[in-house]
Amino acid sequence: MSDPVRKQLEAHPLVPVVGEIIKIVEETPDVKTFHVTTEHGKPFTPMPGQLAMLSLLPVGEAMFSITTQGEDHLEFSIKKTGMLTDALHEAEVGQKVGIRGPYGNGFPVDFCKGKNMLFIGGGIGLAPVRSMIYHCINNRDEYGKMQIIYGARSPQDLVFKEDLFENWPKVSDCEVNVTVDRGDDRWDGHVGFVPQFIEELGPKPENTVAIICGPPIMIKFTLPIMEKLGFTDEQIITTLEMRMKCGIGKCGRCNIGSCYVCLDGPVFSLAQLKNMPNEY
Amino acid sequence: MKILNKQKLKDLLNSLAADATVYAPVKQDGVIRFQAWNGDQEIDLTDNALLPPKDLLFPQTEVMYKYTANGMRAEITEVAATAEKQVIFGMRPCDVKSLSMMDDVFLTKGYEDDYYKSKRENTVIISLGCNEPAPTCFCSSMGVDMTEAEGADVMMFDLGDKLALEAKTEIGENLLASASGLEDGSADKPAGGQCQLKVEPDGLAEKLAKMFEHPYWEELCRKCLGCGACTYLCPTCHCFDIRRKNIGEKGFQFRCWDSCMFSEYTRMAGGHNPRPSKKERVRNRFLHKLQYFPERYGKVACVGCGRCLAKCPVNMDITRIIKELGEVAINE
Repeated sequence: MSDPVRKQLEAHPLVPVVGEIIKIVEETPDVKTFHVTTEHGKPFTPMPGQLAMLSLLPVGEAMFSITTQGEDHLEFSIKKTGMLTDALHEAEVGQKVGIRGPYGNGFPVDFCKGKNMLFIGGGIGLAPVRSMIYHCINNRDEYGKMQIIYGARSPQDLVFKEDLFENWPKVSDCEVNVTVDRGDDRWDGHVGFVPQFIEELGPKPENTVAIICGPPIMIKFTLPIMEKLGFTDEQIITTLEMRMKCGIGKCGRCNIGSCYVCLDGPVFSLAQLKNMPNEY
Repeated sequence: MKILNKQKLKDLLNSLAADATVYAPVKQDGVIRFQAWNGDQEIDLTDNALLPPKDLLFPQTEVMYKYTANGMRAEITEVAATAEKQVIFGMRPCDVKSLSMMDDVFLTKGYEDDYYKSKRENTVIISLGCNEPAPTCFCSSMGVDMTEAEGADVMMFDLGDKLALEAKTEIGENLLASASGLEDGSADKPAGGQCQLKVEPDGLAEKLAKMFEHPYWEELCRKCLGCGACTYLCPTCHCFDIRRKNIGEKGFQFRCWDSCMFSEYTRMAGGHNPRPSKKERVRNRFLHKLQYFPERYGKVACVGCGRCLAKCPVNMDITRIIKELGEVAINE
């Protein structure tokens, strides 16, 4: 973390540092990726899977997963779903934003070391997973085979197209499998839902960790297939969303039982989730 | 020990008010509230205040920072200043105990809330022991000693026409040393009253951990109106919302009390709500107090002040609920 930013966030954890959007990538008609930095450079260096509060000062503040980071910036892939995200989608390069973080536990990078990595994403759910994919790519020797299975409603709804079709297939020992619920005239790839696609591909559970993130309906149908393929609850890792205001375990609302998703999550294994109240 | 003739109470408060804002229980329009002492109010030490003085440490609305924003530009212009010295006079032992829970929330688990911390560090507490608890009080079941408030700087006892004050900390000693109206003396500490309501919260958290899906919650939530009064009256409820107000180019970010009884509290931008109905919200409120808080911080988030059961419009009674939860059968 850059020193001035760290000092400010330690003194006033709920006051954002003012930063700036330096690049905007249109991923889909309703998803954009925002590159954010501050005058002190990258505000902090998050672990993959961690979160940050991003704000447009007059509009509001919300928690987003940090989809990846560069040397000098953080990236947020944001779907248009509410007041703040609508306003963010109208923002242009140069827009000042507020940022504070990083929050949450992040993906268990040490637990995953030496294991094969299976990444399963649906829709915008690839955004948090992408941070771990890049972590594995940047530390390629420390992880085994990588397989990325991703699906979206239609070809135009696929996020990170450059990664999916250009960058990731070039990574050594990395398989990328993409599907869409409905194809179009130009789509010559796989058509079908993510859960069935996983079953067809039949990834092996031996020495593998599966990181899954997507809409609840996808998760619901994916879990029985993972079980059928032989994955245990400890091998399945996911990341949750909850409404958050403070991000530091004080404001109360993101609890699942005695656990605060902003501090103790957002990343949980299926084994952990099964021991928590079903209220998320 | 210092003795104060109650006729000299104003002298004492005036002298305390020389260096700090003094908040004391004042009766106005038939209601006892903590108010800033202005030298001429009717202090009422008979019953506990309608609202706990938690807003003196965690205000109901509190500006966090100010900003200017216009188009692409945005800048934070001012972060709320640190707190000034305050004395809370006549805080009851139950409310003093609630501060240990507020401290757990705002000052531990990796992050210190600077707004709370600044007020907490600048607050001196003069607690008043209880001789006659109200019919709705059950503090003795929640580990509160009516004659000894742990965490108070000064402990005070009502002796009828006099008050006895005993310093409990160095800060309290210094405060009493420089205060007016006090005489050296001694008095027997009153025995403290007896609560008519009693509950047995021991072991309940462990049982509740197995009761998330129990049909009890379905039944319990029916009469709740979801008004949130209980959460606003509770000295241990700490949930807040963060919002902002814009006036032209300028604006400020503030936080305000929120309530887990409201559906908006957990509703996400996409529309999904993990606690969509009263059942989930009522369950969360009681499990938070009786199971989740003990699991996270090692203590029950209730001090037995009785405000929620005294003021609930439909008579939801946490003591009855604790009893029923203790008795209800569960499938292990």
